[in-house]
Amino acid sequence: MKSNDERKYIPEISQKEIEELRNTIKAASIKVMTENIERMKKTSTNRPEAMQYFDEISNFFGQREKEIREAKEGGKKVIGYNCMFAPIELILAADAIPVRVGSGWYDASKLGDRIVPVEVCPIIRSTIGAKMIGLSPYLELSDAIISPLTCDGMTKLSEILADYKPIWTMCTPRVKDDPQSMIFWRKEINALKGKIEDLTGVKITGKRLRSAIELRQRATKAFRRLQDIRKGSPVIMGRDAMLVNQTSMWDDIKRWTEKTEELCDELEKRVGQKIWACPPDTPRVIVTGTPMIWPDNWKLPNLIEESNPPGILIADELCSSDRLLYDPVGVDEWIMDDMINAVAERYLMTSTCPCFTSKDGNEDRINWLVDKIKEFKIHGVIYYVVRGCILYAMEYTRIKRILDRMNVPVYYLDTEYTREDVGQMKTRVEAFLEMLQARVEI
Amino acid sequence: MALELIGDILRLTVFAGLALAGILVILIWIRNLTRNVTYLRFFIQAVSVIAIFYLFTLPSWLLIFVGVIFLMTIVTGRFFCGWICPFGLYIDLITQLRKAFKIRYRNLPEKLNRALNKLRYVILVFFLILPFLLGPIEPWQWPLALFLTGPFKPITVLLGPLEPLIIPWKGGLEFYGLDVSYPYVSDIIFYSSGIFVWINVFVFIALTVVSSFIVRRFWCRFCPTGASIAIVNRFRGFKWAPVLHINKDEEKCTKCGICKRVCPLQVTEVYEQKGGKIMTSMCMLCFRCVEMCPYEDCLKAKMAGKTVFKSRNWLGPSKIE
Repeated sequence: MKSNDERKYIPEISQKEIEELRNTIKAASIKVMTENIERMKKTSTNRPEAMQYFDEISNFFGQREKEIREAKEGGKKVIGYNCMFAPIELILAADAIPVRVGSGWYDASKLGDRIVPVEVCPIIRSTIGAKMIGLSPYLELSDAIISPLTCDGMTKLSEILADYKPIWTMCTPRVKDDPQSMIFWRKEINALKGKIEDLTGVKITGKRLRSAIELRQRATKAFRRLQDIRKGSPVIMGRDAMLVNQTSMWDDIKRWTEKTEELCDELEKRVGQKIWACPPDTPRVIVTGTPMIWPDNWKLPNLIEESNPPGILIADELCSSDRLLYDPVGVDEWIMDDMINAVAERYLMTSTCPCFTSKDGNEDRINWLVDKIKEFKIHGVIYYVVRGCILYAMEYTRIKRILDRMNVPVYYLDTEYTREDVGQMKTRVEAFLEMLQARVEI
Repeated sequence: MALELIGDILRLTVFAGLALAGILVILIWIRNLTRNVTYLRFFIQAVSVIAIFYLFTLPSWLLIFVGVIFLMTIVTGRFFCGWICPFGLYIDLITQLRKAFKIRYRNLPEKLNRALNKLRYVILVFFLILPFLLGPIEPWQWPLALFLTGPFKPITVLLGPLEPLIIPWKGGLEFYGLDVSYPYVSDIIFYSSGIFVWINVFVFIALTVVSSFIVRRFWCRFCPTGASIAIVNRFRGFKWAPVLHINKDEEKCTKCGICKRVCPLQVTEVYEQKGGKIMTSMCMLCFRCVEMCPYEDCLKAKMAGKTVFKSRNWLGPSKIE
């Protein structure tokens, strides 16, 4: 933490106030986490037993925090990242622990309002707020933070967080399919590799990088297996699957892979016995838009699956869930050069983030959605945007046009990091699901 | 004569048996899904080299073989270049050597790559008119016996890449009683004279070996044989002709760029094209892109409308569809 004179954004806050705020918000957060899990258990009467592990690991102030703290005392470095663009393979290859530090705390976003205006995306405000009071254990424990400059919010967030921690920015090119973009991005990746090596003191050799890539490929395999299971009749509630996906952002990836495989084994057994998580004719919904981050920002999944008539979240197009591990790093030749190329391409090219454009606009995102809608037999799309997320909001018109042509209903839902609009949202979601229910019955 | 024919047929049957057994062994042996096709291709190439060696001992068979290849290419495109051509095998082996040394490859600029693809037609035309520039053709040159040195020379230039490393005829370098050769070497000897014969030969060998060490499949980017094979694909009337081709499903594609990166000939059409049939004379149908594509059903190798091979989740298939 820099002294008051050196800091650029963060005002002086008394230690006492910080303590007080942290304790209140932490207590509220623990309550929300347990409450969310309780609600998930309540909706799904025959919840898979393997979910037990993910319930535990999803606790921010529990087992995983302790593990990271111990590893850090043992000399390991922790590297946080703000956004999916950070090349996790490189962090793993340097024997460091990658954790995603984006925040989903509603209360923390109120604190962020002291520094940035309310028009700013709440994820950014919440991350700032969480950092101000030292709420997020992963953000506190990380030795450096990789901050890809994807949207405007992320760009300034990196400056604000620099008051506390070393920040490694990564500039993403805005056009994906130009050859010069790839050259630039590859250089960014190489530069980051140097920084990681300097911090950890571990040289990223070909052998290390290869084992890191293979580790992540195995995780991708488990991840895809889970998504494949979700294609059929619902055997797992969408929220549960979303929680599994999210825990991969901070859990030990090897253990996560094992546990996910266990979960998939159990689910496959259930498919054989035809034990469904909810009636198979429940309207199948896909959510696209701004990332939803555990624990607080769980209101939309809760609403969808608890509403009357109920819906089920079959898939999503969120960079906090279904997009996390979907794409593997495909290496042609196991040489350092080609491995770096493969890592660079996997992070830039496969992303469907609306911060990009290409010759045809951000067409990858539309293709992803259309493919998912067909493969997962989706009945309706909820386009979820938090106020201030301009990029996602602006792409709505285009997505709607495509979906209209396909005769798939789409509903635009904008909200904030607040609990106040839950009642109003409930009415809207229920109306949409009712319409979907009618369509399914026809 | 009849006995010899039976002998040949027997030999070919043994080849076919070997090939099938080898494919089985390899498929069991290779667990890694991202290398299946590559090793299968190596095996077929190796078997083809042996087959071509025997064919060179029988010029009449060779003629039939050439005819079959050219007829085949009308419908299968440059499948020959990727799966049968012996020179391709040597270049692939050099690439394997480079991989063993962990040395990176270089990519050619895209424009140069496209220019080289056009250059092959220039080379082809040059070799077709070369014998007429060298002098008049005498009637005694016509017999089939002179197939390898006579006025059919331009056709044998097209057979250049087929030349095995050990040849069943005299004319190359003798090495422990074996006649050693290299693709195109007999053509170079034919067209050079005096001391330049050996200078040309060694310069050619050095250049091709070094260039294929640096750039993947460098020769194949402007090989005139590839031109003669690709030529039918260039006419609009023959759109129906390529029975074997790659098909792309636009919606499954996330434009991850793997297909572009792994292509040994740096073909960009698979990546850039929006979907449908991929028709380019640069593609040699090695199916490396199909093999490496991590999205199920996105790329498909289609033969006469039927999918023979498709991209799959090579991380491991799940039990439930």
